[in-house]
This record gives sequence, structure tokens and C-alpha cells, in this order.
Amino acid sequence: MAYEPPVTDYDEIVENGTCAFCGCNCDDLDFLVKDGHVVGVRHACRLGASKVMEDMDQRLMVPMIRDETGELMEVDWDTALDKAAELIAGAVRPIFYGWSETSIETMKHGIRLGELVGAVLDNQATICHGPSLQAVQNVGYPIATLGEIKNRADMIVYTGSNPMNSHPRHLARYSTFPRGWFRPRGRFDRTLVTMDPKYSDTAKMSDIWIGFEQNGDYGFYNAIRAALRGKEIDQDYVSGIPKEDIMELAEAMKNVQFGALYFGLGLTHTLSKQRNIDMAIEMLADLNEYTKWVLTPMRGHFNVNGFNIFMAFEMGFPYGVDFCRGYPRYMNGETNTIDLLTRKECDVFMVIAADPGAHYPGGAVKHLAEIPVIQVDIHWGPSTEIADVVLPGSFIGVECAGTSYRMDGVPIYMKKAVDKPETCRDDEWIMRELLERVQKIKDQEAAVASK
Amino acid sequence: MTYIEKPVVPKVVKLEEPTAKERKILNMMLNTGSDIYQGACKKRGSTLKDEYRKVCGVAYMDPKDMAKLGVANWDTVKVTTDWGEVVVCSVHSRDAPHEGTIFIPKGPWANVITSHETYCCCDPTYKGIYCTVEKTDEPVLLMADLMRAVYKKYVDDEETIPELESLGEMPVYKKK
Repeated sequence: MAYEPPVTDYDEIVENGTCAFCGCNCDDLDFLVKDGHVVGVRHACRLGASKVMEDMDQRLMVPMIRDETGELMEVDWDTALDKAAELIAGAVRPIFYGWSETSIETMKHGIRLGELVGAVLDNQATICHGPSLQAVQNVGYPIATLGEIKNRADMIVYTGSNPMNSHPRHLARYSTFPRGWFRPRGRFDRTLVTMDPKYSDTAKMSDIWIGFEQNGDYGFYNAIRAALRGKEIDQDYVSGIPKEDIMELAEAMKNVQFGALYFGLGLTHTLSKQRNIDMAIEMLADLNEYTKWVLTPMRGHFNVNGFNIFMAFEMGFPYGVDFCRGYPRYMNGETNTIDLLTRKECDVFMVIAADPGAHYPGGAVKHLAEIPVIQVDIHWGPSTEIADVVLPGSFIGVECAGTSYRMDGVPIYMKKAVDKPETCRDDEWIMRELLERVQKIKDQEAAVASK
Repeated sequence: MTYIEKPVVPKVVKLEEPTAKERKILNMMLNTGSDIYQGACKKRGSTLKDEYRKVCGVAYMDPKDMAKLGVANWDTVKVTTDWGEVVVCSVHSRDAPHEGTIFIPKGPWANVITSHETYCCCDPTYKGIYCTVEKTDEPVLLMADLMRAVYKKYVDDEETIPELESLGEMPVYKKK
């Protein structure tokens, strides 16, 4: 990478900002501010810095709706909000998807709106860590905070995850490199293990890389469990890994003082889905017979865990909550966004701080091309290409404050550093306005019906 | 100023066995997922730009597979699965060797060909999909053009799509 001189031309430093990218929620960023814009970020990784120092060319600045020719047209806030409220109020099976890159305060209004119109509220967990949450419901959740792992862990295992690419500061700030209370020498006191079919960037810097076969996770964990329970492994190779290596690894995992397992989408996106994670958690249960082991899912967005915690607290279910019968309902394969879209059930889709256009499989996006889509976001993205109403929000953690939950469930208040562009609005304000406008339409309908 | 650079990969790898035949079509396994270049470009918001096409519209391939197929770095290949087909650039993988597997970073290109089957577990199958890879001359589309060509939401006549003008790298909307 080309050398870039440090930024010296700035008016002020806003200290202790929180990064709004991945589930690490690093809360030690310093924003260098000049003329109301962030011109530099200290301590952030490549991902965090790129998000904070955004591309203003593609920033959504004004509300827009599609005209008859199918082109987006700038309108004022009232027109755009009325149009969105009209679509939501008239919908039979709306889905409100997203929420993972916005604050808990926004979700509060979203949940009320969802209850009012009988919507399905779902977040990015439905396409990433949903199976992890199912596995947690199946077999439990031996979680620890990242701080505890930093201070205690002497073996770190990443499985189906590549934090050097998706959570670049995770190793440096929370797991492997920092010096902890009981690990005074940092990296030298810890063993780093990566289990991944790919020789990923994390695998390259690990002490042990276990490159089991594609879709071999389930068999591999079962083999480790067998070894832990003192059973003989019949086959010479399990999932492409020699029997002796599995025995050796099981022995090593048994003989640590404190182990931490981090798992990512490599487990949830393959065919066995939640069964992989069931097995990984049960492997930990077996390991806990001998020593202390904990696990944490590597959550992708900074507040994806927040939505799950908030929803589970408010409604009893973590994601894919369906209000169409007037009470919260949750059923996998039934009330999840991808299933609803591929079955062509949904008739109005609102996306808040997410990008289904980029991250949904084509089969699901095809239905989005047939129904009205409302987008609340900060950047022009693939979803804008299929959106009918666009409402420009603001950037949580930089342009407005809000609460988010880190991957281990620790709530963090993200403070504001600069003012948002004048024509944009807070996500919270947009949700509240939509709620009020939809409420008004519903009240009118009720008044007409009673006559 | 750009944060995105092409990953460092070896220039050319020749087939180890000179007698091995070049093949027209390779049967491979497709993995998709996040990647630091894709993540940085997506969250910065530069999705319309050529940069995004360079980080997401690529298939990271093992150099040996590329030699078999007779493609060089940044040649275009067509990847086909049961769910669709898409044209992407072939690029030498930084994580080689992984013969028989290709990796496309998550994004609109990858998702044209991923499986929406959730098997009642809410999560689509983004990884471990069988695909075929073949050489092609078709260009890799920019994000806006790809969305228009694949999902056709605001197109009246589907047959005119190849002749339509590119939507370009900047937002297009009617200002007040």
C-alpha cells in the first residue's frame, strides 16, 4: 500500500469515538475534524476508517421517490414520508428489515410501527448468525465478555471466521495480541488456532491451522468430541484431517487454562447450518469437563447483536418476529425474510440501514423487484437501484449518538462527533415521523369504518 | 486517494504438467463471503464506482485452475450455478492453494449465483455451491448496470437492456 502522510491539517480532535463497523465496536477512536467533516481517524482499522471517512459522492442527501418513468426524483421530506407511510399503511404483509447499523433508539420506534401495521421485523442475523441464535436456543450459550477473554485466555480458536479480513482489530484489541492480567506477555502466552478450509489471512498468522474439507465442520467437531470422551476414532481421516492430529488437538484443548472459541459465518452458511454450531457448543460443553472454555459469535455489524438482544428483551424472540396476528410470533423457515421473499409473500419492504440488494441471494432480490421498496440509509447502494422511496438517514456514532451492543452483549453508547448534513435526518426522527403518519392514516380508516 | 489496491498475487503460473490439457469448462465449488477490500469499499459507500467492481466482481481462483482454463489475471470468466450466471474477472487468489474452489466476495455479483435455499434454517446457502467456470469475452458490468440487467425493476422492454446506455459511476436522479 502506498505511503500516506499523517493528517496534520485539522481543527479539533474528538476523542473516544466508537467505531460503527463490525461487532468489535472499538471505542477508542479519535476523529480529526476540520470544517465539520471528519478528515482523519486514529486507531481505527482499514474498515472502520473507510466507513468514517465516507465517499461523499454517493452520500444520500435528499429524499427521493420514483416517478412514472422509473427514475428517482428529489422531493421534500413531507412528500417522501407521506408516500412511505401510505405504502406501509396499505400493506398486507410488510417486512421491516435491517436495523443492524442504526441505534437501539431507532428500533424502539420501529417496533411500535411494526406492531401497529402487523409487520415482520427482521435483521441481518437472518442472513448471517441466525443459525447461531437457533443453536443457542437448542444447546445454550457459554459466553464471556471480550475483556475476560483478553485477561485470561491462553488458547484462542477461530473457526469458520477470518477476523483479519472482517474484524481486523479483533486479534489486536481483544483476543490474541493484548497483554492481559493473567497473560502478561500477550501473544507469547497464547496459542492461536484457526479452523478453516481456506488458508485465510488469519490462518497465515496462526500457530495451528486446521484446514478441514469444505462442509466438513460437523464431522470434525464430532471427531473432537469423540476424542475428548476417550472414544476410538474408526476412520484414519475425518473431514480430511488425520486421526492422530485430531487426538493431539483434543489433548491440547483439554490442557489449557482458559480457552475461547470464536465462530463465524463459515459455520452458518454451509449446509449443516445450525447443527454445526450445536456441535461446536456441545464440544465446548465436553471441554468444560476438563477446563474452562467459552465462545462468542463473530457478529458482523456493530449493532446486529443489539437488535437481537433488544427484540428478545421486548418480544421474546431474537429476530424474524412476525406481528401479523397482533402478537409476536417466530418460526424459522416461516417468518424469516428470505423465506417470505422467495415465497413471494411480502408486499411492501422497508430496509433500514442495510443493503439487501447487495447481500441477498438473487432469488430473494427478484421478488424485491416486483414490490415497492422503502430505503432508509446513508449511502447510494445496490438497494437504491431497486428502491421506490429513499429517505436519507444519518451516521450513528459520527453524526448522531446512539446505543449499540458489542458482539459479546456489552452495551456501548456511541457519541456524536460532527453535525449531519442539513438535508438529512436522524434515523430515530424518520421512524417516529413514519409511525405518526401511519397512525394518522389508520385512525382515519378506523373513523370511516365506524360510520 | 484510494484505499483499494489490487491484492498482490504472482503474475503467471504455468501448468506444472505440460501434457495436461487445457479445459474449456471447470467444475468447481463456489464460496462467497466478506473480504477486507470488499468491506472497506462497500461501507465507504463507493458501490457505484469501478473500484467496487474490481473488489466484488472478481473470482479468486487457484493459479493452477487458471492455468487449466487458460485465463490470466483480470480476464473475464462466466460462473454458472443452478441459480444463475454472472460474468466476473478471474484473479489469482491470495490464499492459494485451493484447487477446485473459487471465492467471490459477497456483493451483487456473487449473489446472482448464490442459493436462496434456507432449508427452514433462515440462512441462505452462500457457501459450498457447485458451479462451472468458463472463459468469456463479455464484460463485467458496473453495479448499477448489473442490478438493471439482472432484476429489471424499472425496465419496460427487457430485450433492449444490452443496448441501454450505462448508468455510470455516479448517482443518477432528477434534482429539484
